[in-house]
Amino acid sequence: MSFFVVKRDLPGVTPEVLQSAGIRAKSCCAEMTGEGQPVRWIRSFYLPETPQTHCYFEAASKAAVEEANQRARIPFTQIAEVVEMTPEMV
Amino acid sequence: MSGQNRSAVENCSRNTFLLTNNKIIITLFKIVLDNMSDADLAAAFAIFAAKQRGSDEVTPDHILLGCLRAISRFGIVTLGPWSLDLEALGVDWIQQPDGPRPKVAYSREAVDLFDRATMIAKSIAKSAGETSVSVNHLLAAFAVEKDGLMGELKRTHGITSASWRAAVARLGVDETSGAESGAKPEYLTPEEAAGTLGIHVQTMRAYIRSGRLPAFRLAGERSIRLLRTDLEKVLEPLTSEKTGEKREE
Repeated sequence: MSFFVVKRDLPGVTPEVLQSAGIRAKSCCAEMTGEGQPVRWIRSFYLPETPQTHCYFEAASKAAVEEANQRARIPFTQIAEVVEMTPEMV
Repeated sequence: MSGQNRSAVENCSRNTFLLTNNKIIITLFKIVLDNMSDADLAAAFAIFAAKQRGSDEVTPDHILLGCLRAISRFGIVTLGPWSLDLEALGVDWIQQPDGPRPKVAYSREAVDLFDRATMIAKSIAKSAGETSVSVNHLLAAFAVEKDGLMGELKRTHGITSASWRAAVARLGVDETSGAESGAKPEYLTPEEAAGTLGIHVQTMRAYIRSGRLPAFRLAGERSIRLLRTDLEKVLEPLTSEKTGEKREE
């Protein structure tokens, strides 16, 4: 399993719209996991000074993350694998 | 999430579990289940409903069916004065999807509905301190719908936007103040309502006819029911000027 960041440009997005997207993301991830294609939405960061939102997922492949976001109908601009680093690791 | 509904969700993916035989996937899915809210459960049932119908999109109709299933018991939804049979709505509430099913994605209309539900949740949050979206918010978002399954329910059951919202508002409240807690029934016949206020039943019927007291008709029947909490609407505070002007019945 790997970690991925999903970058979105959502100008004018409101917390309510993000909340709505979150419900859809959770249900689609659960559905795909039930289908044998595990995807998990971990957390998102909304950058209020920009139109950007960064959402982090755990999945076996980038394709699985892409499909989960497409099923949830949440637009994105880029999906990239990320490597986690924490203060405890250095 | 109730045990009955959680079991239904688990059964839906049992075949997948057997096929994959992957402990990591099972563990992940159980984590997802444990963190499910009732809105998540409704969304999961909406996806199942779309799959059962062979649709490749989750539409507002599927979301409504998902919400109703999430609050159902034994395939029956008791919502305000209405009892809705999920089987009559085409929901096979016992059998779960089996065999290959299409992959489904949310439709544009479904996205709009979720957005509306979160707006409702936000407006309520200001007064009630709620922050997360619940199945009640999703159901409330259907109050203005005129088309699709909701439109059909409105026509066949005489549901209005106001009566739907009133019924949704009572969801959960009735459970906590039900028979087990010793509380009195929330819905009254005109006779019971008249007895509660100590007035003649004809006076009560006059209040209903004039619109002074909201009343509900049972779906497909002539029977009328009143909300106990609505009875206070015909009570006017007695001021010193009014004393003596009104006679007791």
